[in-house]
Amino acid sequence: MVNVRFVRSQIACSKRQSYLFVLCVILSMVTLVSLGSFSRSVQKSLLRDARALHAGDIIVRSHEALPPTLTSQLELLTRQKTIESARFYEFYSVVRSASGNASLLANLKVVEPGYPFYGTVELASKRPFAALLTPGAAIVEQGVLDRLHLTLGDTLLVGSARLTIRDVVLAEPDRPVNFFALGPRIFIAAAGLASLELLGKGSRVEYVALVKVRQEKRLAETVAKLRAASPNDAVQINTYRNADSRVKRFFDNLLFFLDLIGIFTLLLAGIGIQSTLSALLLEQQETIAIIKALGSKSRFIIGHYLALALVLGVAGTVIGLALSLALQDFLPILFRGLIPARVELTVSAGAIVEGAVTGLVTVLIFTALPLSRLRSIRPALIFGKAEPDAPQRRSTMAIAAGGAIFFAALILLKIREPATAGYFMLGVALLVLVTFLGATLLLKRLMKWRAQDLLLRQAIRGLFRPRNATRAIMVTLTAALAVIFAIRLVEMNLDASFVRSFPSDAPNLFFIDIQPGQKAEFKRTLGKEASYYPIVRGSVVAVNGSAIDREMERQKRGDNLAREFNLTYRDGLLPDERILKGERLFRADWSEPQVSVLDTVLKMEPMRLGDRITFRIQGLPITARIASIRTRTEAPLQPYFYFVFQQKELADAPQTFFCALRVDKKEIAGLQNRMVARFPNLSVIDLTETASVFGRIMAKLSMIVRFFTSFSIAAGVLIIVSSTFATRYARIQEAVYFTILGGRRRFILAVFGVESLILGAASALFALIIAQSASFFLCWKVFALSYRPFAGESLLLVVETTLLVLGAGVGAALPILFQRPAPFLRALGDE
Amino acid sequence: MPILEARNVSKSYSIDGRPITVLDDVCLTVAAGEFLVVRGASGSGKSTLLTILSGLDRPDLGRIVMEGKDITELSEDDLAPLRNKSFGFVFQAFHLVPSLSVLENVMFPAELYGDRHAEAKAQALLDRVGLSQRASSLPHQLSGGEKQRCAICRALINEPRLVFADEPTGNLDSANGDAVLKLLLELRRERRTTLLLVTHSVEIASLADRVVTLRDGRIAGNI
Repeated sequence: MVNVRFVRSQIACSKRQSYLFVLCVILSMVTLVSLGSFSRSVQKSLLRDARALHAGDIIVRSHEALPPTLTSQLELLTRQKTIESARFYEFYSVVRSASGNASLLANLKVVEPGYPFYGTVELASKRPFAALLTPGAAIVEQGVLDRLHLTLGDTLLVGSARLTIRDVVLAEPDRPVNFFALGPRIFIAAAGLASLELLGKGSRVEYVALVKVRQEKRLAETVAKLRAASPNDAVQINTYRNADSRVKRFFDNLLFFLDLIGIFTLLLAGIGIQSTLSALLLEQQETIAIIKALGSKSRFIIGHYLALALVLGVAGTVIGLALSLALQDFLPILFRGLIPARVELTVSAGAIVEGAVTGLVTVLIFTALPLSRLRSIRPALIFGKAEPDAPQRRSTMAIAAGGAIFFAALILLKIREPATAGYFMLGVALLVLVTFLGATLLLKRLMKWRAQDLLLRQAIRGLFRPRNATRAIMVTLTAALAVIFAIRLVEMNLDASFVRSFPSDAPNLFFIDIQPGQKAEFKRTLGKEASYYPIVRGSVVAVNGSAIDREMERQKRGDNLAREFNLTYRDGLLPDERILKGERLFRADWSEPQVSVLDTVLKMEPMRLGDRITFRIQGLPITARIASIRTRTEAPLQPYFYFVFQQKELADAPQTFFCALRVDKKEIAGLQNRMVARFPNLSVIDLTETASVFGRIMAKLSMIVRFFTSFSIAAGVLIIVSSTFATRYARIQEAVYFTILGGRRRFILAVFGVESLILGAASALFALIIAQSASFFLCWKVFALSYRPFAGESLLLVVETTLLVLGAGVGAALPILFQRPAPFLRALGDE
Repeated sequence: MPILEARNVSKSYSIDGRPITVLDDVCLTVAAGEFLVVRGASGSGKSTLLTILSGLDRPDLGRIVMEGKDITELSEDDLAPLRNKSFGFVFQAFHLVPSLSVLENVMFPAELYGDRHAEAKAQALLDRVGLSQRASSLPHQLSGGEKQRCAICRALINEPRLVFADEPTGNLDSANGDAVLKLLLELRRERRTTLLLVTHSVEIASLADRVVTLRDGRIAGNI
């Protein structure tokens, strides 16, 4: 039976540590519940609006014109009144103002009547979409009007057609997140598609047929019929329930990343829970010794302090839930522009239960070690002559193993990808190990160092004050800061490489979809030196005779073999390529078709020299043997190709050309206008413009990530404050002794300040070293960027963090300064 | 002029709302170079008198005058140089800074004073008291007698004019207590320091120039 009065009095005696314990639980709860709720809200909305998000019951997609057998089946089912169908074509093209002075790359959606079957296309005029989108009309996003300086009723040149702008589109059901687009949306009626003259062979068009099934129960049967009518798997046929959407993919990736940060924060909050409870129990050590001297068993004591931890844990859980609820009002502001407008952010019951259970288990795991150490307190401690026994190694190991299993299970549950979960766990373990070793080494060196300056010496001595959790603080802070710094450094490098200083030698203007017949004329009109690359669209069907499982491939988080590739042909290497395996690009002694593979492909599927890859190009299979494996040596803004064939294999295949050149930024608009006026089917990508869009998205995502990573910093600060409180007695003792010996308050404050300064600066510097190494590795290996260390910004991060630690340390120690010596001495029994 | 003067000093504490008078209208003068013992039973207020005389606490009523200067209302920071340069302290519980070595503990007041020869002075003092071998030890590694010798060195390093000693032998066995007292008195003689020592021991009191006896917070004798 728990003695409630005892538990209450223990909490009252250790108010400060109790508050900190509760704060740590609050932190873990807010992280778990707010992220969990956000994730569930988004997923619930995506599921609820799944039909609208896809605008149909069945979605048929292909990068080639739909095969005749499939279109026949669609027509048959329509005639049988089983379904309704509407096709649309989505692609990029440069559109111009009638005057020809301005042009821009736009995202065209050419739709048949009936689109969308679910959801609505909202127009600025509030009029019905179907009534306005007639042949000869265009409905455009505001961006088109702004950037081409047009108004409603003006003429827009799209390909070979002249269209009248009828209205402005505000939202469309199947593209809720529109910041990924390289250009603003333009809707055109499919009846006018031919007049555009934009669809050439090899053009990168997405062909979509939306199907509305009249009876829901016939959904599966209809899908089966359509799949049977599709001769190859290049056509994706999915229902609204299982179809992937861009918005879902985006949120899957974002939430995946936030989940990783959430688990990391939970781990740090757990360390905070352990640290504060240890400090609380240390404060109560004498009480525990007295209780033991009076005959209490360890079980009684552990039971009561467990009850205390649970009471505080429940208090933290309840407050954490309330704060998570409040945070849901703030999250839409944080995610503004990223989440679909229809997503309602609410705290879900599931997230609360999951958060409460996870939080409780976290509390139990991280309190287990300090509680188990209560066994080692001996009654003789009351005489000040006995130190607690060393904790039992076996129980410590068992608790650590339990904690590791719990976190491994949590990570697997959240991430659901064993390999990624494994890497994450390995990464966290490595991070903790490196920080632990680093902190141990540094503290050993500091312990031996006898600084000449009195202030510095006292501050360093302070780090080794009994009960000072200096190493725990350093490990926690360093690990948290290393993650935050690394994210910031990678972000700055991406920003610098793509957004701010576009590489001076990299092409910044790409013309795509140049038809073979246009190439010579294009070169003449361009009048500039440029690189031309033939492009043949194709997909990988099998590797060494084993068919590619497209569904499995699409589940992969990174790039995969299920998508369509841009194949090319040439007989030599590009300037930034080198052969990694094989003697040259192609072998002279092989008579069968050969292919050179970029090393990136090997990450999607293990392949070796001599392996055979079967491709499907315009419906025809071609099996090529891997003659070489290439790698790239420069920044990623140079054009590159995963698969390179010999000229003789693909020269006759349907193809387009891709032209890349470097143009002065001021010339881009004029050149684009001139080229598109002459070749209306061309698409032009201005990478400098794309880069700024990319920069805006990255800044937004970075802010979200920083918001959630700041929780882990808060955990670090709580541990600092807890440690300061835990050493309050020792600090008062020092302050009193310094006062007696003639030290002024300024000196005492400076000693405590420099101590925090050392702690903060050492943690931040160490974190920076780890972050610099990690971000260098990421930039070099993952993003293939030339790395910039951002010395000034890095220094600023270190200074900011150090000031934060200084503030927390000095703030918590401030009341100590106003202690007068006599009462302390009297309390020691000198009276 | 007396080096230190207590004029009508009173001090009381409140325990559970109940006022307890510890010092009641105490008047005392300490002459320069004098070895003064304040005697009294436990709870008589002798340690409180020492803390008030040394500026570690403030009286509720009355004044403390040091060499003609009223120090009663000085702030902690104004008292700091006085404690550092003019006063030395030796306590029953030693009060060595636990995180500092013996040498660092002794040096500390001199370093605060900005004395460049702090280390040499500390070494010399430790030599004098036979502790030079323990210079790098931490306080918890010392015996009680060694701790008190270290505390005496620390009290004397800035050559204060006045040393306050509160039951300096109270936590020591008789052999160690005698040795520490002998050392304290020797050093006092060598440096001509005023010593104000609080004790309940009759033997120690017999060595003093003058003995003031406190009873229930009042001066009961001044011999």
